[in-house]
Amino acid sequence: MAIVTASTKQPTGIRHWAVTACVLLVLLVTGCRKLEQRADLIIMNGAEPESLDPAIVTGQPDGRVAGALFEGLTRFNPKNAKPIPGIAERWDISPDGQTYTFYLRTNALWSTGEPITADDVVYSWRRALDPLTASDYAGQLYYVKNGEGFNTGKTNNATGKVYTKEDVGVTALDTHTVKVDLEGPTPFFLDLCAFRTLAVVPRQSIEKHGDRWLMERPLPTSGPYNLDFWHIHDRIRIRKNPLYWDAKNIQNEIIDLLPAESATTALNLYETGEADIIWDKNLIPSELMDVLKGRDYVHTYDYLGTYFIRFNVTKPPFNDVRVRKALALVIDKERLVNNITKSGEKIASCLTPPGMEGYTSPDGLGRDIELARKLLAEAGFPDGKGFPTFNYLFNTSEMHKQIAVELQAMWKKELGITMELRQVEWKVYLSDQSKMQFDTSRSSWIGDYVDPNTFLDMFMSGNGNNRTGWANPQYDELIRQANQERDLTKRAKILHDAEVLLIREDLPIAPLFFYVGVNIFDPAKVEGVHQNLLDEHPIWNLRRKDGRSTSRPSAQKLAASP
Amino acid sequence: MMENLSPNQRAWRRFKQNRPAVISMSFLAALCLLVLIWPLFSKPALAKLLPVGMTHSPVELTDQPFAKPDMTYWMGTDVNGRDLLSRIMHGARISIMVGIVGALVSLIIGVLWGAIAGYLGGWWDGSMMRFVDILYALPSIVFVIVLITTLEELVKGWFTNAFGADFAQYSRMIFLFVGIGAVSWLTMARIVRGQVLSLKNRQFVDASRSLGAGPGRILFRHILPNVLGIIIVYITLTVPSVILYESFLSYLGLGIQPPFASWGSLIAEGAAQLNPVRINWWLIVFPAITLVSTLMALNFFGDGLRDAFDPRG
Repeated sequence: MAIVTASTKQPTGIRHWAVTACVLLVLLVTGCRKLEQRADLIIMNGAEPESLDPAIVTGQPDGRVAGALFEGLTRFNPKNAKPIPGIAERWDISPDGQTYTFYLRTNALWSTGEPITADDVVYSWRRALDPLTASDYAGQLYYVKNGEGFNTGKTNNATGKVYTKEDVGVTALDTHTVKVDLEGPTPFFLDLCAFRTLAVVPRQSIEKHGDRWLMERPLPTSGPYNLDFWHIHDRIRIRKNPLYWDAKNIQNEIIDLLPAESATTALNLYETGEADIIWDKNLIPSELMDVLKGRDYVHTYDYLGTYFIRFNVTKPPFNDVRVRKALALVIDKERLVNNITKSGEKIASCLTPPGMEGYTSPDGLGRDIELARKLLAEAGFPDGKGFPTFNYLFNTSEMHKQIAVELQAMWKKELGITMELRQVEWKVYLSDQSKMQFDTSRSSWIGDYVDPNTFLDMFMSGNGNNRTGWANPQYDELIRQANQERDLTKRAKILHDAEVLLIREDLPIAPLFFYVGVNIFDPAKVEGVHQNLLDEHPIWNLRRKDGRSTSRPSAQKLAASP
Repeated sequence: MMENLSPNQRAWRRFKQNRPAVISMSFLAALCLLVLIWPLFSKPALAKLLPVGMTHSPVELTDQPFAKPDMTYWMGTDVNGRDLLSRIMHGARISIMVGIVGALVSLIIGVLWGAIAGYLGGWWDGSMMRFVDILYALPSIVFVIVLITTLEELVKGWFTNAFGADFAQYSRMIFLFVGIGAVSWLTMARIVRGQVLSLKNRQFVDASRSLGAGPGRILFRHILPNVLGIIIVYITLTVPSVILYESFLSYLGLGIQPPFASWGSLIAEGAAQLNPVRINWWLIVFPAITLVSTLMALNFFGDGLRDAFDPRG
């Protein structure tokens, strides 16, 4: 409207007019944003990933994306999470179970078109073990001969030299054959090969770009999807990799993975049709589970996941086992699962969840307030007097906060000690935990394979996922022994003894409850999200049933309403 | 008709004719009184005499999460089963305290800065007020956020060393007081400077100076008392903006930490309950009503005071 008034015949008026028009044009152009195509599937994936580097990621949200981009020798069967052939087409296992020979597919290609070779596998595994990579999950490769030696920089007693990457028991026999020598018979080794840490990563771009290799576009990938873009706190968009060896079975062209830390946000997006799947354990709207449980889009299932508290045993007063025991003994776990989590979780006194074949966990500590007060008094804090204020680290999530408030009140009421809440975002949480900058911390662990070892080996001293500062040589020895043992009954017994040390004797952790998995998706629209013990839902298996929707659903709704 | 009234008496008379302002003042007085005596209600001796809805503790967990407002819990309970009414009252303490202390911090800095700049004049005035302009240009809420996130651990460490660990949990609260106060003094400084500029050339100042009074005496004895009215008005308008600041920070999770609550953090908790499946409406409605009505009352009260003290009126 300002333009009309400026349409005088004076030259200054024309100039004004021109300037106004230009300004309006600029505003118009900047206001426009290319309307992005709606993805075939939109998934609420949990917190914003810390990284997408398979060797670095530890969190579930991070791992799911990394797993879509990079594949290992095997991959997970979407139904039961057992290993099935991935980049390796088949394999031979020596009779003693200590040597594996993998035969790679000849049609396995990088997204750049080059073949994936045995050298790439060797490089990727050596890189994950390299101390310079600083992978917290390097322990997954300790079962490979000299893997631990190389990762921890030990000296080879036989030769007197420090272990180098050449000593690691993985070798390329030819371009498509990989031979792996193990430290002992490892019954879950094929499961490990499907795990992200062992995925095959692009050597050339890592050597060229160093730490910033994930920024390269197009990013060379070995998995079913390519990375389209990663907009921090907006979305990660992945696009079908047409050169993937199994590309003909990949149904969805574009998938968006949205970061969210609030369960309510995720549910709102789902209910308005802006998201198709919610599958992260932090995005369960626990307060609504009593209503939601009966709905056909809510799928609950058991899986191997434990919610527990880590104590920082390097700092007083938590360096005293009596203090840790006292804190663990007063937690009213029944109240937590009945009032807060509400999805039918079972309370936990041990770390390893039920459901592992051939293994029964020992019983841990129960609830005993008198004993707790006594222990705290013996540790020098009668009635909590003189006990320093300590913090409780947790990542942003309504449920974690509610649990924290409960713990805070329980400890205050029963022991008279004061806890401070420290809520931080996911990346800060992971890095503070890994740097041991906490007193106590919310933690959880999801099994990486169906074997108690996936829960127990992380508390070996020096494991990147230990994160408590706890080191017990006896425990380390037991875990090592167990993984050398071929008799499965004996092995279970040894692991049992180790777990007793962890949850009855030393308590660097206090288990709270076992997770119940909740996936939210409409089975009429989406298929391929199977509920399994590992909470693994390979993205390559997802299918949209009702065809591609190309426009945004909200726009459709607006058009439909009169 | 001309009674012999002092300016303050005349202002009070004008104020009394302003109905919204008087209602707001009574509301605020009642709220402050209630907030002050609220903790007494949970004392056993008094609790017997009172209805049960008034006697809950804000930190006590119960087995009734998400109870609807009823005779036991007048405003319902939250997820941990804590009574919402007592949490709002407890939150009011913190919100009002932050409001008042923040406003006082802004008062001290603002009045001193503005008065000195205005009185000294010249180069000093120019540079001091340009400094204010620079601070005005900074987004103040971002400034407070940066302040809290960067310095908190450091200051917490000092507190722990100086006063012991139990005191350290109050460091966030002190940060809020100082941080918010430190960004809300700018307008106060400008207003005071303007007043001082016009007053310092008046005859009574010249008279005082000719009698040998120093700058300190002139400023504090003669000039500032004349600015008092406008300072009081402005302070009442600063309190609600500081409360809003704090609520905003708490909403973002940077304000008061649990188990303490402020209105902002209560609203944040209530907002997290907004979903299409089931809305526990009381969790957002009651804290929001309290916050909005208090802010409105403070604004009406401040406006009433300003109109009353305005010599043109």
